Amino acid sequence: MKTHRLRAAAACVAVSAAFVAAPASAQSASEIELARRLDQLAAELASVKAELAKLQRERASPATAASAPDASASAAAPAPALAAAPVVASDSQAQGSGIALGPSTVLTSYGEIHYNRPTHDSLKAVADLTRFVLGLQHRFDEKTKLVTELEVEHAVSSSDDPGEVEVEQAYIERQLGRQWALRAGLFLIPAGLLNENHEPTAFYGVERNFVETAIIPSTWREGGLQVVGNFDNGVTTQLGVTTGFDLMKWDAMSTEGRDSPLGAIHQELALAKARDLSVFGALNWRGVPGLLVGGSVFTGGATHGQAATSSRVTLWDVHTRYTPGRWDLSALYSRGTISNTAAFNTPLVGSTSLVPASFDGWYAQAAYRLWSRGDLSLAPFIRWEEFNTARSFASLGTGLTPDAAPTERVVTIGANFNVGPGIVFKADYQRFRVNGDADRFNLGMGWSF
Amino acid sequence: MRFVLAGTTLAALASAPASAFAVDYLTLEQAAQLMFPDADRFDGGEITLDAAQLQALEAQGVRGRSARWTVRIARHGDATLGVVVADAVIGKFELISYAVGIDGDGAIRQIEILSYRESHGGEIRLPAWRRQFVGKTQAAPLRVGDDIANISGATLSCTHVTDGVRRIVAVVALARRNGSLP
Repeated sequence: MKTHRLRAAAACVAVSAAFVAAPASAQSASEIELARRLDQLAAELASVKAELAKLQRERASPATAASAPDASASAAAPAPALAAAPVVASDSQAQGSGIALGPSTVLTSYGEIHYNRPTHDSLKAVADLTRFVLGLQHRFDEKTKLVTELEVEHAVSSSDDPGEVEVEQAYIERQLGRQWALRAGLFLIPAGLLNENHEPTAFYGVERNFVETAIIPSTWREGGLQVVGNFDNGVTTQLGVTTGFDLMKWDAMSTEGRDSPLGAIHQELALAKARDLSVFGALNWRGVPGLLVGGSVFTGGATHGQAATSSRVTLWDVHTRYTPGRWDLSALYSRGTISNTAAFNTPLVGSTSLVPASFDGWYAQAAYRLWSRGDLSLAPFIRWEEFNTARSFASLGTGLTPDAAPTERVVTIGANFNVGPGIVFKADYQRFRVNGDADRFNLGMGWSF
Repeated sequence: MRFVLAGTTLAALASAPASAFAVDYLTLEQAAQLMFPDADRFDGGEITLDAAQLQALEAQGVRGRSARWTVRIARHGDATLGVVVADAVIGKFELISYAVGIDGDGAIRQIEILSYRESHGGEIRLPAWRRQFVGKTQAAPLRVGDDIANISGATLSCTHVTDGVRRIVAVVALARRNGSLP
């Protein structure tokens, strides 16, 4: 029985150590107390170990104990240095190196809740749990890990509700050395500033910017292979072969294609047409602290042998972000093209939306950390955006070719209020130059850990 | 405060493997030798803070986080060149192991990333980012968005390592004031 109690005590200590090593709330205000309790637990564990060793010695046959008393004593007796070592160190630190290992499985989450109120039409005001995401990362060994994210959009997903359940990421990453890593599976395409860093705590404003939703279809992911290289000169390069878009998904009777041409034909690895593969490349340079300059290109066939004429989707962007002191400045331009759309559009003339030949947009944004105290900070921002989801159409002949869409211009003014790095409250006002009916106030909250 | 010398010279351990996950760039011993190439030996030890000292750090706006710290003291003959403190903080999801070298006058000599496990944000290894810390003392803000520039796409890694460095500088200063660290 005594042994059982000792094992239970040891288990409690191990659970406590695992709790402290877990990322969630690992740096909470109660850490001092936790550290103190850990020290106490470490001492108790040492005592338990000594007692257990004593019991084991007592159970051993007297003859054996007598034949090798020195060896038994040296193996069982805890060394003073070990007895004084922290519990966490014994579980999560490489012996003698001072390098902590951490847990091999990590649970993550992010989510956001929005309230949008059009200033000219309050009947359209909506509140929405825009997304709730659970992530699970697991390290199989020192070089190989699994990264997954499961997302629920709009709170409830059923045949009568607007929600969706989506796997946002599911890839294996294998470290190939000091500088290269390989990813395989469903991963985010490294386009723009937001797509790979899309948690609500990572961007300003309640809603994601229009350019990186209407032109770059965030959160944009594809299935395939990717190599990532990180170099000491500040260059990060990403190259890959993936699935791409399916032009046959275009719904000419819907306005979805006007909102986001590529958002209307993305496949998200859901029984994705994969006869035509796409390739991408991204290059980012962070050689000067606070400065990021980069660009990306993605191109691939989008008809998969389903149409007489093959079409290719190409999307590229250039971006920069500079964060000197309290400032956070960023700018991005992105342009997409879809080739050979005339044959596709001809039978659709007169429909709600035809496939554009090109679409593009840019934004510039400035934020300033105006106030901070402890883990609280307030950062007002302003963002100017111009984007056109149908900059041009392929010629269908006089009277048949649709007119290019007007270029929308949106200014967003607001502020992010952060509570530590993991929680944000947001408020902003958006004014639309073309579609003035869309002017709105937005409130939001989000979390990420 | 209690400072415990391991009683062994650790130069011989420079080649000891560290079985950390993902990319191990350096062991603590390798980092210590990089930071203090003139040292002829490194004494290992541990700083132990009691509750009152942890609270004193808290009062300075520094979260104590741990009561025990692994250190290496760089020596050349009888002279003490400085100390190297190992630590690990959570980046975005996983632990980042790093070491901070501090000169005898309390100024940061060098930062080295020992191991990095995140899929993104590994750019904190960049020498240009780590150089921002060199020469700074406890008198410096040592805060991202203040005297330390952020790395876009690695905000949490930058913030947490910077917070960790600020904590280590404060711990070492406290240990030296108490005479428990040379």
